[in-house]
Amino acid sequence: MGAENMNRNETMSKKVRNLLLAMLVQVPAVVLADPTGQALAFTCAGCHGTDGSSVGPSSPSIAAMDPEVFIDAMQAYKRDERNSTIMNRIAKGYRDEQIKGMAWYFAKQKMAPAPQAFDPKLAEAGAKLHEKYCEKCHEKGGRPGDAGTLAGQWMPYLNFTMEDFMSGHRDYPRKMKRKVDAAVEAGGDEALRALLHYYASKQ
Amino acid sequence: MSNSLSRHLAWLFMSALLLICIAPAQSTEGGVGMVLGERIPEGFDPETGKRIISNERCLTCHGDEAVKTDVRDDGRKVKIFVHSKQIQASVHGEQECTSCHATIDRVPHREAPQVIVGCIECHKETWDKHKDDPDGKHERLKVVNEQADNFMQSIHAQPSKQDQSRTNATCYDCHEAHNIGELGSIQRKEKRLKNPEVCGRCHEKQLADYRTSDHGKAVLEKGDSKSAVCSDCHTTHAIDAPETDKAKLAITKNCGDCHKDAQRTYFASYHGQVHRLGYTNTAKCHDCHGSHKIKGPKDPTSEIHANNRLENCRVCHKEANENFLTFWPHGDANDGEKYPGLWTFKIFMQILIFSVMAFFWVHVVLWLYREVKDRMEDKGFIEDLDHPDVVYFRRFPAVWRWIHGLFAIATMTLILTGTTLLFSHTGWAKAVVVFLGGTEMEGIIHRTAAVIWLGIFLAHLFIAVGNIWRKRDTFKWFGSTSMLPNMKDMRDLRDMFKWFLGRGPRPEFSQWTYWQKFDYWAPFWGATIIGTSGLLLFVPEATAIILPGWMFNIATLVHAEEALLAAIFLNSVHFFNVHFRPERFPMSTTIFTGKIPIEEFKHDHRLEYERLVESGELEKHLVRRPSRRADLAASFITTVLIMTGLALLSLVLIGLMTSPS
Repeated sequence: MGAENMNRNETMSKKVRNLLLAMLVQVPAVVLADPTGQALAFTCAGCHGTDGSSVGPSSPSIAAMDPEVFIDAMQAYKRDERNSTIMNRIAKGYRDEQIKGMAWYFAKQKMAPAPQAFDPKLAEAGAKLHEKYCEKCHEKGGRPGDAGTLAGQWMPYLNFTMEDFMSGHRDYPRKMKRKVDAAVEAGGDEALRALLHYYASKQ
Repeated sequence: MSNSLSRHLAWLFMSALLLICIAPAQSTEGGVGMVLGERIPEGFDPETGKRIISNERCLTCHGDEAVKTDVRDDGRKVKIFVHSKQIQASVHGEQECTSCHATIDRVPHREAPQVIVGCIECHKETWDKHKDDPDGKHERLKVVNEQADNFMQSIHAQPSKQDQSRTNATCYDCHEAHNIGELGSIQRKEKRLKNPEVCGRCHEKQLADYRTSDHGKAVLEKGDSKSAVCSDCHTTHAIDAPETDKAKLAITKNCGDCHKDAQRTYFASYHGQVHRLGYTNTAKCHDCHGSHKIKGPKDPTSEIHANNRLENCRVCHKEANENFLTFWPHGDANDGEKYPGLWTFKIFMQILIFSVMAFFWVHVVLWLYREVKDRMEDKGFIEDLDHPDVVYFRRFPAVWRWIHGLFAIATMTLILTGTTLLFSHTGWAKAVVVFLGGTEMEGIIHRTAAVIWLGIFLAHLFIAVGNIWRKRDTFKWFGSTSMLPNMKDMRDLRDMFKWFLGRGPRPEFSQWTYWQKFDYWAPFWGATIIGTSGLLLFVPEATAIILPGWMFNIATLVHAEEALLAAIFLNSVHFFNVHFRPERFPMSTTIFTGKIPIEEFKHDHRLEYERLVESGELEKHLVRRPSRRADLAASFITTVLIMTGLALLSLVLIGLMTSPS
């Protein structure tokens, strides 16, 4: 009778011990569930440069990027609503909160303008076009804002993007199309190049 | 033992585990300003998480005078220009654009934005926050909030019939949203002249009509900002559909803001009295004068032009004939020049009221003084407790008791229903008329009581004349029981005053004293005046067949004045003479029991008592005291009538004292 009691107690203790061990295994997973926005942002550096200032001409700088523009872009990638190379796959790996965390992190980084050569004459013509057709949305000469970042952005990247807009690979905002068309009409074939050189000149 | 220990350990561990799990989740919750250890970037409000958009940013596009419009996807042209200087000069000059345009969160806008602006919440919150400020800078917000409340109750705040998702109108449909001026500012002055145009954006037909009116011409053609604009009549915010009682009452009231005399005289008329009680089933300003097309009487297109007026009368008085045209809808009894007839009647009636009341109130006060003084000196008529009244004198046969009782009830009913009209300005009148079931029901009750009243009066006449006829051989016109006034009455009156002043003994009276004769004969005069005028007003269409319209003015005036005299006299002087003087206080029930204690009879009618003793006739008038139940019943009825009478007197006095004219 007494031994049986002992036996039962021992079984009980083992059960408890096993249960506790099983729980312990879970602990690291729970504790490490949410890396900070900054930690998540480190993974972007391969393409977008340290702290978001890109060194590769086809990848845009995302430092100082408007956080809502960042979120819009990531969400659009996630839903396959924006033309992409690999960003649609990468975006799908993040939850909304993580995307927001990264957006806020990058928004606070200082953008180092892309070190690239430009034609000052073209840039001057571009400045005039920008002032007349683009400045209302891309304010302060295309500095980071709610309309995206143009100033200091890599020219090849901007060129690809414009091609996407114009070829219908990316949603072309109605008003932007109206303004770009007007700029091209005013500035001729060189208009877009002039604008790109203007943005490149912002160093 | 070890079992319980391990169980405790297990609980402890699980609690610790839970804490670990919850802790990181909690640490990420820094409000909307924190996400995954990242603080919200600059340019966003840490409280709300919303983007901060400066006014300059908005004005980059919306302040560009070169591009005042934009084209929407559907090709629609929309005005996007906002006059920045105008905003700065307005009451909202220091506000952020996004304070009002709260749904705007992206610039450039990702989609064509809707104008979604709610004014009320912000004004309410700002007032709540600043209402106790000592500088009083936000004082005006009190009015703004009151008006916002009015608006929310108005027809404009109701869902539109065409589209239930929006209201009929909203703040900025009328208020020029970006140009709201302070009290007394230029914006506000301009706004008054613009008011018809603003309302006319939706109410086109009304604006077209208004343009042709005297008001419209003054405002729109001559720029006279003192003439009536829409909001003067319809109110600015508490606007209701014109079919509603609320709107009709408000509009009529508002006419009086400018046309003060017209309103005063209107409220003195039957139409106005009913209206002021809160009922709209009589003629109101716009029923006769028209509304948006209102013009002076000389304009042949005016509704009150002599040729068009009768049509208006016939809307209600279907049988109205030409005589209705001579009715003075604004007849003013105080205006002797314009309405000499009416004025004369008023003066006559007022002299009558003042002299009768002044005389009898002096009579009452002196009498009270004398009896109180006598009492203090143990003089006068005092009940002998050792010899309680057992023998009574038969004073009134049953028929007179019934007639008096019914007459009293009918009179009180007439006073109540009549004075609600006369004192329609009072709160009690409005309550009484609601209690009675409205002005139409009140009219029916008044007319029914009037028929009963007149019937009783005529029945009494018939009986009295019959009595005289039956005793025609022996009837003495000026006998000791005669009701006819005689010279002794004059002497008695003189001697009473002497007694009041302590200069002589109390006179001795016969069967009827002079004040009793007055109470008896006064209704003959009253019945003639009130009865005749009442009959004229009973069925106006029938009266107008033979009499001119201004007879209604005279009849209304004298009916009211005479009724007032009767109401005050009966419920004060008559009550005092019969019930309240110290010898009788608190009441005499003789008129209901028909019996008076012999000692009281002896005291008040000594001459008749002595005559009866002398002629040996006394015995046949003596009766036993009323039974205890008869006495209680008589006291009960008398009490009810006295209390009712005093209540009516109070209502009448309240009405007189608060009378606006």
